[in-house]
Amino acid sequence: MNVDYHALAPEIILGITVLAVLVVDLLRIPKYWTAVIGLVGLFAAFVPVLTLGFCESLDFCTEPETAQRVLFGGSFVVDTFSLVLKGLFLGATAVALLLSVGYIEEDRYWQGEFYFLMLCSALGAVVLASSRDLVTLFVALELVTGPTFLMAGWRKGDPRSNEAALKYFIIGVLSAAILLFGMSLVYGYTGELTFGGIRAATAALGDSALLTIGVILTLLGFAFKVSAVPFHFWTPDTYQGAPIPVTAYLSVVSKTAGFVGLLTLSYQAFAELRDVWGPLLWILAALSMTVGNLIAVRQDDIVRLLGYSSIAQGGFILVPFGAAVAGNVTGDQLEQAFFATVTYLLIYAVMNMGAFAVVIAGANRLKSTLIADWGGLSSYAPGLAGLLALFFASLAGIPPIAGWFAKLVMFSSVLGVDSGWATALAVIAVLNSVVAFYYYAKVIKSAWFDQVPDTIPAAELRGMGRAVAPSLQFALVLTAVGVLVLGIFPNLIADVGDVAKTVAAGF
Amino acid sequence: MDVGDWVSTPQNWVFLVIALPMLFAGFKVVQTSNVVHAVLYLVGTLGGSAALFILLGAEFVAWTVVLVYIGAVIVLFLFGIMITRAPLGFDVTLSHPVRIRVAAAVVAFVLFALVGGAMLAEFENQTIPEAADATRTVEIGLSIFDRFVIPFEVVSVVLLAALIGGIVLARRDPAEEEEAGVVR
Amino acid sequence: MTVTPGWYMALAAVLFVIGATGILVRRNALVMFMSIELMLNAVNLTFVAAGRQIGLIEGQLSVLFVMVVAAAEVTVGLAIIVAVFRRRSTASVDELAGMRG
Repeated sequence: MNVDYHALAPEIILGITVLAVLVVDLLRIPKYWTAVIGLVGLFAAFVPVLTLGFCESLDFCTEPETAQRVLFGGSFVVDTFSLVLKGLFLGATAVALLLSVGYIEEDRYWQGEFYFLMLCSALGAVVLASSRDLVTLFVALELVTGPTFLMAGWRKGDPRSNEAALKYFIIGVLSAAILLFGMSLVYGYTGELTFGGIRAATAALGDSALLTIGVILTLLGFAFKVSAVPFHFWTPDTYQGAPIPVTAYLSVVSKTAGFVGLLTLSYQAFAELRDVWGPLLWILAALSMTVGNLIAVRQDDIVRLLGYSSIAQGGFILVPFGAAVAGNVTGDQLEQAFFATVTYLLIYAVMNMGAFAVVIAGANRLKSTLIADWGGLSSYAPGLAGLLALFFASLAGIPPIAGWFAKLVMFSSVLGVDSGWATALAVIAVLNSVVAFYYYAKVIKSAWFDQVPDTIPAAELRGMGRAVAPSLQFALVLTAVGVLVLGIFPNLIADVGDVAKTVAAGF
Repeated sequence: MDVGDWVSTPQNWVFLVIALPMLFAGFKVVQTSNVVHAVLYLVGTLGGSAALFILLGAEFVAWTVVLVYIGAVIVLFLFGIMITRAPLGFDVTLSHPVRIRVAAAVVAFVLFALVGGAMLAEFENQTIPEAADATRTVEIGLSIFDRFVIPFEVVSVVLLAALIGGIVLARRDPAEEEEAGVVR
Repeated sequence: MTVTPGWYMALAAVLFVIGATGILVRRNALVMFMSIELMLNAVNLTFVAAGRQIGLIEGQLSVLFVMVVAAAEVTVGLAIIVAVFRRRSTASVDELAGMRG
C-alpha cells in the first residue's frame, strides 16, 4: 500500500515529539527542557504544513494527481482548509505552552506530564483538521478532549480545580455519547462512514425521521464542545477552576476543534440536509450570543468573564451557519459563510490567547482575578494595562485592531442572504456586539480610570513586584503583534481564509 | 407471520431471553441505591450485549466486550468505589426529589418514543441477511492496518495519555499531606 | 416476522434513554458514569446491528474504536473521581458547589 508520508508529516513529527517529551522527562535535567522540546516539535511540525501548502513552488515536493491529498479511502484528506487549521492548532498550542511554562514552574505541579498531555491533545487537533470520516473524526475529537479533562484537574490540592475537572469530564463524556449515538444513527441509515459517502447516500435515499434525529444528535454533541447555549453550563466553572493556561488552551484549541467538526460535517457530510442543521444552528447562535453576553455583564471575576465572553464569541462564530436557513441560498453565499467562520476562528484564536496571556501576567502580580482588584492598573503597570486594553478592544471589535474584520465578515455573510431569518440573526448579532462592548469596556475602564484598591501591596505599586516570565513576555508580544497586524492588514487573513474554502466547494 | 410462527422461530426466543433481562438490568443500574449492586447490574447489561453481538454474528466484538468492558472497566469501577470509600450499603439520599424524577421520566419517554419509533419505522420490514463466512475477524484485522490505521494510531495515543495522566492525577503525593496554600 | 435489526436498534434506543435518564436523575458521580457506559453500550449495539444489516465490516470496526475510547475515558474519569473524592466519604456531586455565578 502506497502511503503519502509527506501528507502525514505533521502528525508523525508531533507523534515523535510526544514520545521525546516523555523520554526527556525521565532524565535528571531541569523540567523546562521538556517544554523546550515541545516547542521545537511544534515548530518542526509546522514546516511540513508550509511545504504541503506551497507544494507547487517547491522543487522537491511532488504534486498529487488530484487537487487534494486523499488517503485511506477518503477518511483522511489534506487540503488547504486542513492545512490552515493545522497551522492554527500548532500556533495556538505553542502560545499555550509559552503561557504554561512560567505558571507551572512556580507551584507544585507535575510538569513534564503536563506538556506531554498538551502535545497529545494538539496531535488530536491536527488529525481532526484532516478527518473526513465519522470514526476518524470521533477518535481525533476524543484525543483532543481526553487529555484536557486531566489537565483541568492538574492543580490537585485545589478543590475548585477538582470540581472543574469532574464537571467538565461528566459533560464531556455525555456529549461524546450523544455524538456517537447520532453518528450510529446516520451510519445505520446511510451505510457510509466517509463524509463524501454520506452526502451521496443522503442525496440518493432522501429524507427520514431517523436521519434527522441522527443529524441533530451529532450536531448537539458538537454543540457541547463549542459551549453553545443551552449546553454551556460547564464552561464558566471549568474555565474558572482550571489553571489559567489550561483555560486558554480550552477556549481556543478545544473550541476550534469542535467548530472544525461542525464545519466539515455541515458543509460536507450533511450538505444535502441544510434544512435540518440551518435552523438548529440558527437557534444555537442566537441563544449563545444573547445568554453569553447578558450573563457576562454581571461578572466580577475576569476569568469567568472571559469564559462567558468565549461563549458569546462562539455564538458569533455560529452566526454564518445560520445563513443556510434560507431555502434560496446560493453556493457562493454558502462558501462566503464558510469563509466567515474560518476567518473569525483564526482571528478569535489570536485575540483570545492574547487576552488570557494578559490575565495570567496580571493574576501573577496581583494574586487576584477580580476586576475590582485590577483597578488603576495603568498607574503602576502601564504596559500590562495597555496590553489589556489592546486585547479587550480587539474582542469588542474596535478598529483598527483585529476583531473588527472578524465581525465585518460575519455580518456580511448573513446580510447577503435574502431571508427574514438571516436578517433577524444579523440584528441580534448587532445588538449583542453592543452589549459585549459594554463589559469589555468596563474592564478597560477599571484598569485605566479607577482608583487602586487598598489590597494591593505597596511593593507592587512601586513596580518592584514579581517580574513577568520571559516566555510569557514573548507570548504577549507575539499575540499583540498578531492582533495589530491582522487588524491593519486584514487582507492577510482574508487570503488565508479564502484558500480554506475548499471544503465548502461543490454546492 | 403470526404469533405462532414468531414464537416457533428460535432466533426470536433467544433474542427475547437475552433482551428482557438486559433491559431489567439496565433499569436497575440507574434505579438501585446500592452502588456495588449498580456495578453488578451493569455487568448483566454488558453480558447481555455480548450475547446479542454473538447473535448478530460479530464474535470478535463480543469477546472484546467481555474482556475489555466486563474484565477491565468493571474492575476499575469497583476499585473506584473502594478508593473513594463510597458508602457500601443502601443510600437513600442519592436521588433527586420525586418531581424531578417524574420530569426526567417524561423526558425519557418522549425521547424513547422519538428514537425507537423512528428506528422501527425504518427497519421494520428488513430481515437479517445470512452471514456468508464464519468469522470476520480477519477482515477486522486487515482493516485496522489498512483503511483505519489513522484512528488506530490515534486511539493508541489516547490510551497512552489516559494512562500517564490518570496515574499523575490519582496518585497520592507525599507533599499533599501538608495541604499548603495553593498559589493562583 | 423474525427479529430484524430494527428490534436491536430499538433495544439500543431504550438503553440509551435509560442511561440518559440516569445522568439526569442520579447524583452519585460513579452511578452517573455508569449511566454513560450504558449509553455507550447502546451505541455499540446500534453500530453492530446496522453493520450487520449493511453487510460491511465497518460497523464492527467502529465498535472496536468506541470500546477502546470508552476504556480510556473510564481511566481518566476514575482518576478524576479518585482525586476529587479522596478526602470525602461520599461520592455525591452535590457537594461540589464551590463556584457560582
